[in-house]
Amino acid sequence: MKFNTLIIGGGLAGLVSGISLQKAGHSTAIVSGGQNALHFFSGTFESLEEAPERLATLLTEAGIRTHYQKGVRLMPLGTFRPAALSLEDISLFPTPKFGKRVLIVNFNGYHDFFSSFLAGGLEKEGMTCRIQQLKLSELEWLEQSPSEMRSVQIARIMDRMWEVVVQEVRVLLKDEDTVILPQVFGLQDTSVPGRIRQGIPAQVIFAGTLPPSVPGLRTQLLLKRRYELLGGTYLAGDEATGAHVHDGVVHSVVTKNLDTHFLEAENFILASGGFFSKGLVSNPFQISEPVFGLDVEQTDDRSGWYHPDFAQDQPYLSFGVKTDAALHAIQNGKPMKNLYAAGSILGGTHPELGTAAGLAIRSAFAAVDQILSR
Amino acid sequence: MNHNEFDVIIIGGGITGAGTQRDCAMRGLRTLLIERSDIATGATGRNHGLLHSGARYAVNDPESAEECIKENRILRRIAAHCIEETDGLFITLPEDDLGYQQTFVDACRKAGIRAEIIDPDLARRLEPSINPELIGVVRVPDGSVDPFRLCAANMLDAKLHGGQVRLHTEVTGFIREGDTIRGVHTRNKVTGEEEDFYAPVTVNACGIWGSPIADLAGVHIGMYPAKGALLVFAHRVNNLVINRCRKPSNADILVPGDTVCIIGTTSTRIPFEECDNVAVTPDEVTLLITEGAKMAPSLSSTRILRAYAGVRPLVSADNDPTGRNISRGIVCLDHETRDGLSGLVTITGGKLMTYRLMAEIATDTVCRKLGIDKQCETATTPLPGSGEQSYESVAQKIWENPSMAQKAAAARMGTSASRILTDNRLDERLVCECEEVSVSEVNDAIERLDASTLTDLRRRTRIGMGTCQGGFCACRAAGLLAKASGCIEKEREGLAHFLQERWKGNYPIGWGDTLREAEYTQWVYKHVLGI
Amino acid sequence: MKLQEYTQSKHNFEECTKCTVCTAYCPVLQVNPRYPGPKQAGPDGERLRLKDPYFFNYALKYCLNCKRCEVACPSGVKVADLIQSARIRYDKSKPKLRDRILASTDFMGSLARPFAPVVNGVTGLGITKSILDATLKIDRQRTFPKYSGRSFEAWLRRREKEQAAFPEQVSYFHGCYVNYNYPRLGKDLVKVLNALGVGVRLLEKEQCCGIAMITNGMSEQATRHARHNIAAIEKAVAEGRKVVTSSSTCTLTIREEYPNLLGVDNAAVRDSLLMATRFIFEKLERGSTLRFRPDFHKKVAYHVPCHMEKLGWGVFTEKLLRMIPGVEFTLLDSACCGIAGTYGFKKENYAASQAIGAPLFEQIRAVDPEVVACDCETCKWQIEMSTGYPVANPLSILAEAMAE
Repeated sequence: MKFNTLIIGGGLAGLVSGISLQKAGHSTAIVSGGQNALHFFSGTFESLEEAPERLATLLTEAGIRTHYQKGVRLMPLGTFRPAALSLEDISLFPTPKFGKRVLIVNFNGYHDFFSSFLAGGLEKEGMTCRIQQLKLSELEWLEQSPSEMRSVQIARIMDRMWEVVVQEVRVLLKDEDTVILPQVFGLQDTSVPGRIRQGIPAQVIFAGTLPPSVPGLRTQLLLKRRYELLGGTYLAGDEATGAHVHDGVVHSVVTKNLDTHFLEAENFILASGGFFSKGLVSNPFQISEPVFGLDVEQTDDRSGWYHPDFAQDQPYLSFGVKTDAALHAIQNGKPMKNLYAAGSILGGTHPELGTAAGLAIRSAFAAVDQILSR
Repeated sequence: MNHNEFDVIIIGGGITGAGTQRDCAMRGLRTLLIERSDIATGATGRNHGLLHSGARYAVNDPESAEECIKENRILRRIAAHCIEETDGLFITLPEDDLGYQQTFVDACRKAGIRAEIIDPDLARRLEPSINPELIGVVRVPDGSVDPFRLCAANMLDAKLHGGQVRLHTEVTGFIREGDTIRGVHTRNKVTGEEEDFYAPVTVNACGIWGSPIADLAGVHIGMYPAKGALLVFAHRVNNLVINRCRKPSNADILVPGDTVCIIGTTSTRIPFEECDNVAVTPDEVTLLITEGAKMAPSLSSTRILRAYAGVRPLVSADNDPTGRNISRGIVCLDHETRDGLSGLVTITGGKLMTYRLMAEIATDTVCRKLGIDKQCETATTPLPGSGEQSYESVAQKIWENPSMAQKAAAARMGTSASRILTDNRLDERLVCECEEVSVSEVNDAIERLDASTLTDLRRRTRIGMGTCQGGFCACRAAGLLAKASGCIEKEREGLAHFLQERWKGNYPIGWGDTLREAEYTQWVYKHVLGI
Repeated sequence: MKLQEYTQSKHNFEECTKCTVCTAYCPVLQVNPRYPGPKQAGPDGERLRLKDPYFFNYALKYCLNCKRCEVACPSGVKVADLIQSARIRYDKSKPKLRDRILASTDFMGSLARPFAPVVNGVTGLGITKSILDATLKIDRQRTFPKYSGRSFEAWLRRREKEQAAFPEQVSYFHGCYVNYNYPRLGKDLVKVLNALGVGVRLLEKEQCCGIAMITNGMSEQATRHARHNIAAIEKAVAEGRKVVTSSSTCTLTIREEYPNLLGVDNAAVRDSLLMATRFIFEKLERGSTLRFRPDFHKKVAYHVPCHMEKLGWGVFTEKLLRMIPGVEFTLLDSACCGIAGTYGFKKENYAASQAIGAPLFEQIRAVDPEVVACDCETCKWQIEMSTGYPVANPLSILAEAMAE
């Protein structure tokens, strides 16, 4: 099969590149070896101090509702982090002092949501908190499972049953100005968080849970759907295993599922992620990039990969594929002519592009611009 | 008697201290155990978990070997739920001297250790992971033991016999009247509270820290800290213990234990200052993998879970620089006769294996000083939880149709698993998915086993010992601890501390899947949860 | 020394980072809380099973073997294989008579065929279904596929000489469904391939691929079938022919389950086994042409079967269907229909099957196609029974659209 651009990696960087290129009339395919880090998305597009219009348009057209306010957000363990561009169901505040009296509501038996940590953190900010459990008959059957009462399973039920939650919360609500609920709403039906907010006469904050992230899964589904609607070919559960390269030009990529049916393209974007998604692989001696054997920024000695303090920045997280200023990936010291790198596979090699979501989006747009200008 | 007066105070919550407290308590003494951290945080919690047959010592130290096999048999009877009767193999590889095998077997038999030369083909069938190139193999009654369970069971039995335990409490000085120790000054490391305790006899059972404790009392015991490094693999590769049939050397024991296996160990002298902060070096890691792969080749491509090191308390006896061939003999020092200081006894040297005998010796000494004439019954009385031989029958009796977590609890707690029987379905929810640990098991550890931090819980229930190294369970367990302690800030710090402890064991082997897991943990805790 | 360059464990279980993504994609977890889920049943459970087979959980039987967990796994863990291989290794319970009957498609097919009209009549009756429900626990609500009076093999054998005349030759692994229930599909495949200048032959005595035997505790029998089929395929490949298939599940079974679950090596022939839609697409890509009727019009909704998604070859079928002028094409959302082969016939699973498929059925009703395209025969039974919409194999749609 032949495409204008082949994208390796179906995460945020891959999907943003794919959507942008499809919209510009390119034919593309995304090869994705398993699901991606969007499943642990906090809901805040980190490292994006301003909201580029291009991104806002892309997200809106995909049905992803966001809002922008430079401030802080409440984290699941009761701490606050700076946040700016976030999904609509993530509340943003100018300062941590967003309320006086808080009602924290959790589902009975759901222990991936940390009410006591939230209460502790808010009490430090001078708020008074009351914690209540909701025992819903709709969730009773989930209680039978010792391990599978997870965010996504609850969210599937909540897509149908959210109104019951609103009713129960209204009954529980006394004089609180804020209600905090777990972030388990709006998996398939994106209007649910907004409708819950309308139904409860208080400020409603959806606080995060242990993975998987419901807003993350929702975002992934919406982006994938948008990409396919624009005509993109999403090859799920397939892994790029090698490539045919000649003179710095990539001709085709080999994948596990398609074996002898090589994927040919004029341009290639490598957006295969960091260590988690095996965009970068490591052994005791070195870190490498497994598809093309690209040059990877790293320290020679393994002891330089780590900081002994878990809380500090870890050097290995800033390792990444080397590229030139135009994001052409470098192999044996030479930039490839038609292979670009985008997303967390870049690590910290381009600090100006930011980190996490900011890195994924900026580098994706940059690679797309490079391709469209050829 | 006042609330802070006892017949005997035991300093040190490792296996020696716990065993001593049990023996004393069973003989009717009013006991108090003081431990500056949690149970089994010294050498007790940082070894192979090998239930020695004694075969390793048969050639060079027949006395120790005899002691080992006797205690091996006793522990199988009294601590059944802490032990896996795996048997062990001593293999001769092509580069080893096959002649040593006969010397080895003869020495074993002389020490009363069953040693059977078996056909290499049979060995390959019994233990598929074994190096297929082996040219000789001897089968011995090695096993594996969970030292945390063993320690907790001893302490629990002591408490059931009226003993008291103070964890996270440091001895800051001795109460000395002339040439007599009357008690100890202590400080609770969590609350800062200072308290004095009195007893006619104090037992120093602190392992390598027995030396600084003795210094506090004004007597000197020469000890050499010898660090040993080990690696835990992410899953169980072998089912029998595998040893090299040669003179004891580095990294020649691979022990299966619960869901993992452990390769070790090394021996390096370290200064006292390093004892509280031992780390594993890259060279040690390479050595352990290389030597381990010689015994079980698949280790060269098996995921490693963590690297850790413990410190052996070697009492100065001779001048072997590696400290390996020092006699592992038990050393019981009655400071009255040795130093003219009465009221203090030190029990040290020895091994995890011989703790019960060490405790017996120490308790005999204590009883003699107190004029108590009671027989030791620890060799014949099963520890709490050790009534049944198989955890299958335990699980069957307690729950007709046990779930995975219930089966795992029966394997961990033995008959004591009946404590976690509950009507509340929500208490059967899993806290740790890797090791199948339920909410009720965690709550039991908090309520009955003195667990007050995540690391305490880890030792008692195995939460955080699986491949995610606490990725999920730490937060869930922290929530349960917060319910019990009522102090969320303490649990927040505890969570950070727990992650740091896991990281310490991960980065020395930080490549491949371990690095992937680390990246995932970093992301989830920092960016998703906001620690 | 090159240590720790890679990790190796059965089905890659040690690469699991415990990320839980697989649990978000498992269809069973959405409807059955007694199922431990792919993470617990697979990589979590494997560490405990290595300690002691006592830790095998019989609830693993609720796994559909849909492989969605594997498609979702970012670490490349073969979660479904772990679960199925654990069932093979540790579940020593003897398969019930019902499961043997459901899994023995060759046997049942050969028995039923001579009496097809009677069998079809009888299995359609309410009373029969009630009896089967009460005695064998085959849910009475499930409809049975009809048997054909003439086998596909008989039909193709009569055309041996004519097929041999074509310049290019392939062998066709037709599977039980085409042979005993719906030879029409086989005829459609032959029509399309002939139009491309390719003649079709049978393999030398093909047997049921054995997927139902694998999941119903009859792995020894499945292994015998596997060895037999691989030998037959090897013979065809040695004679220079590729082997095409029309069923996504048969293809996955031969390509993946044979080596991964049964230990039957297929390395020599794996790349020569192709779904017919891939074979046809690749031919068209290389310059062959098909002529289509100018008056052909069909609103087609394509349901990618779970096993097709695992193979990653849904893209070939999709592109092929989109090539047909006159096709109004919709790609349905990735979802499981719920039948999972023999799974959905069992009374204890029926409700779960229907609950799993409900979102797919809803989407089909919303799209309101003229036909649902699907490469899997059991999906076809499920969708037809549950929605009333007709389901056709893409090859049949292709054949229908072709000019004579």
